Amino acid sequence: MLSFIYAAGGPATISPPTLIIDIALMAMLVVVAFAIVRMRSLFAIVMLQGVYSLMCAAWFVTLDAVDVAFTEAAVGAGISTVLMLSAMLLTDRQSAPVGAKKSLGPLLVCVLAGAAMFYAIPDMPAYGDANSPANTGPGMEYMTAAVTDVEIPNIVTAVLASYRGYDTMAETVVIFMAGLGVLLLLGLNGNAGFWQAKVQGQNIFSLTAPRTRILTSTEDKPETEPPAPDEAAPPKPKPKRKPAAAKKRAAKKPAAKKTAAKKPAAKKTGGKGSAS
Amino acid sequence: MNSHLILRTVSKFLIPLIVVYGLYVHFHGDFGPGGGFQAGVIVAAAVVLYALIFGIDACKVAVPPSWIRIGMTVGVMLFAGTGVVTWLLGGAFFDYDVLKYDPDHPAGQHLGIICVELGVLFTVATVMVAIFYAFGSRTPDISDEDW
Amino acid sequence: MLNFLNLSQAWIAAEAPVAIVVLPLIIGALCALINKERIAWLLVLLTTLICSALSFVILREVMASGTISYGLGGWDPPLGIEYRVDGLNAPVLMLISVIGVICTLYALRSVTAEIEPKKRGPFYGAFMISFAGLLGMVVTGDAFNVFVFLEVSSISTYVLVAMGASRDRRALTAAYNYLILGSIGATFFVIGVGFLYMQTGTLNMADIALALSESGESRVTQVAFAFIVVGLGLKLAMFPLHLWLPGAYAYAPSFVTAFLAATATKAALYLLLRFVFTIFDPTADFIISALTWLLAVLGVIGMFFASFQAIFQTDARRLLAFSSVAQVGYMLLGVGIGTMAGVTAGYVHLLGHAMTKGALFLCLGAMWYQFGVTRISDFKGLGKTMPWTMGAFTVAGISLIGVPGTVGFVSKFALLTAAADKGWWWAVAAIVFTSILALVYIGRMLEAAWLQDRPQVDGVDVATREAPASMLVAMWALAIACVVFGVNATWPLELANDAASVIMGGAG
Repeated sequence: MLSFIYAAGGPATISPPTLIIDIALMAMLVVVAFAIVRMRSLFAIVMLQGVYSLMCAAWFVTLDAVDVAFTEAAVGAGISTVLMLSAMLLTDRQSAPVGAKKSLGPLLVCVLAGAAMFYAIPDMPAYGDANSPANTGPGMEYMTAAVTDVEIPNIVTAVLASYRGYDTMAETVVIFMAGLGVLLLLGLNGNAGFWQAKVQGQNIFSLTAPRTRILTSTEDKPETEPPAPDEAAPPKPKPKRKPAAAKKRAAKKPAAKKTAAKKPAAKKTGGKGSAS
Repeated sequence: MNSHLILRTVSKFLIPLIVVYGLYVHFHGDFGPGGGFQAGVIVAAAVVLYALIFGIDACKVAVPPSWIRIGMTVGVMLFAGTGVVTWLLGGAFFDYDVLKYDPDHPAGQHLGIICVELGVLFTVATVMVAIFYAFGSRTPDISDEDW
Repeated sequence: MLNFLNLSQAWIAAEAPVAIVVLPLIIGALCALINKERIAWLLVLLTTLICSALSFVILREVMASGTISYGLGGWDPPLGIEYRVDGLNAPVLMLISVIGVICTLYALRSVTAEIEPKKRGPFYGAFMISFAGLLGMVVTGDAFNVFVFLEVSSISTYVLVAMGASRDRRALTAAYNYLILGSIGATFFVIGVGFLYMQTGTLNMADIALALSESGESRVTQVAFAFIVVGLGLKLAMFPLHLWLPGAYAYAPSFVTAFLAATATKAALYLLLRFVFTIFDPTADFIISALTWLLAVLGVIGMFFASFQAIFQTDARRLLAFSSVAQVGYMLLGVGIGTMAGVTAGYVHLLGHAMTKGALFLCLGAMWYQFGVTRISDFKGLGKTMPWTMGAFTVAGISLIGVPGTVGFVSKFALLTAAADKGWWWAVAAIVFTSILALVYIGRMLEAAWLQDRPQVDGVDVATREAPASMLVAMWALAIACVVFGVNATWPLELANDAASVIMGGAG
């Protein structure tokens, strides 16, 4: 499959047309990335992310990584766009403007990471170099060994499922864990966390205790038996910011309380719906 | 959504095909691009399409949330279980060769790869649907006029 | 062909490195389906016990016959994934699994108070997967496999931290912070591994080390080093990258906090040791300067900064979290000294601090469980209302300060001598000074607990109410370990010495 790259032996045997496509696709990726950063409409951002993934997939095809391209197209352009949209539906249509000060840190990290990679360029093997370590080491060994060891034509599958099957198992567990996390934190019926527990004789309700506390009260103490009110406590930035954030939220959408009240009802109808 | 007649008709026809295509991608993964992961995403996409067209409540009748919790675990169990079976047969962990002996070609490898990829398919498909259910089942805070 | 009954000792010894990871993974997946919390708990306890037994088997094997290598899937290492256990990671394996047992024991009661009933089974599942992820990170000899298990443990840890939301909603923001920073860390790490692959063409650690020593220094290697150190630094809460830690530790369910504090940062630190010393060439100029200027200096700055921040905390858990950042500084200083003695000291501190901090967080959890204690001011009279819990807290606390007779002293003393041998008197001064700061912040709690009167509610003294037995057993097990290894430190020192000699093998 990849033999035409390796056959010529010398470095840089990539044909000009492929190179042009590569450069064009990468340039488009950069443009889309900047557009995503600049944009404020979340809907457009989600869509552009889909576009970004699709172009990535196209680029992977020109790099002969067909399996990766397939995954990128299915996950990045397909499913994750839907998931992002459904998540966006629950939040907002526009992103809040971020101050220049706040974006300075991430910008610095990006610039530094990019600069580090540029720093390494002089010592990198040439693009498509048949003698580079990646093309002569175990990576190349797979191409010869898999033919007799596993005897399946798609060497990517052979590496993924057999040679490095253990990695794939762990990746499966990562995905499983993502699902379990969603199950634990959100629930599948949109009724995350309605429960009660009895701690030392005191009933704690998920709906009343923590949520109302964070929305209305400025005090951040659990209800259980405060020995003495903490006077002159120099509040750390965290609790200080809290009331402001809560106020802002309450001001922005007075619906917050309403949804909290609505949810048990939604749960009930959900149950009925599946029965009928 | 009741008014989208064309969408409903076309998707009724398409959804089974998408699932079949997902299975093709899975079982053909040895020969062409694809494998359990991609297949799982495609199957999940079929379920998501159903939910988008016919509503999430109808989808939950077709694919009950209780399956999802089971499917996730079954996937991991299939994958890790293949390894356990190779153990019990006396090989190293994930040494598929002990699964089935054949002097001519590595039949055990083929069997093992299909089994573990099936595990990936189960987990990926169910988790994708799980995430979609988790978001899709919540009532949005914003009304449609805000669009 | 069916070798079902082949569970002989030799078989167990040979397969233990894989079994110790796969068993909790399978049990974790199973727990997701179990609704009965007691059954899930029993399964988890059993698994952690078996894993501890396996870790002892592995440790004995390593002590007896040197490095264990296991080719997964029956493939030879450069092609397949290799599990490789030597004197450096075997003790960490043991540490993680034993702490796992203790935390599980403790979880029986603490989970009933902190997690909603229906979710307890899956919650135990998530814990099991995080446990397996940490073990997988430590046991492997493949650079990419490290990343995969890093992700397994990280993702489950984010969920575990977020589950603290039923106690305090701020757990969600804390988990989100952790998620963002942790993902950045993991990305940096995998970029670094990618650069290593570019340079060497292999992912096997031993192979990479060989190829790097042949190819000599190159810019690609340097960049790989930088990315890997930053990525792991985020995971182990190296000083300027520690921002996720206080929130995550403060709002996670209490046994999760104890488990994380005792194991997660330690596993990341082990990886740092592994990468810096055995994969990269520690005699290269850029690594020597990085050790001195990055790890040691940042470690010392972190010790000061985090200790001062700890002093000004009002929340007990945040205080201990900042103290954890400071303690990571000690370990990094030990590593940064770069001599055999320094690495040994850092490693002993890794082991000792795991017990100490684990015990402290377990005690705090019990205090919350019985009296809702979260702030330092709530400690008033706790020595009278919960004498046994406060006793364990005191023992672990003085170990944190580094009083002679505790494991904290052993490691700090080793660190002092290592720094003095190197002639780094500024580091010696820093260790002494930050120990005094530790005395201040721990002493503040101890003073309130032991010297002040019982708290009163409506003019009536609060009655003595001790923590449940399972909790007491867990916290005292760790507290006693602090003292035992403090009085008789030969075993941890021996382990650390072995570990350091693995690292320093060539360099001397």
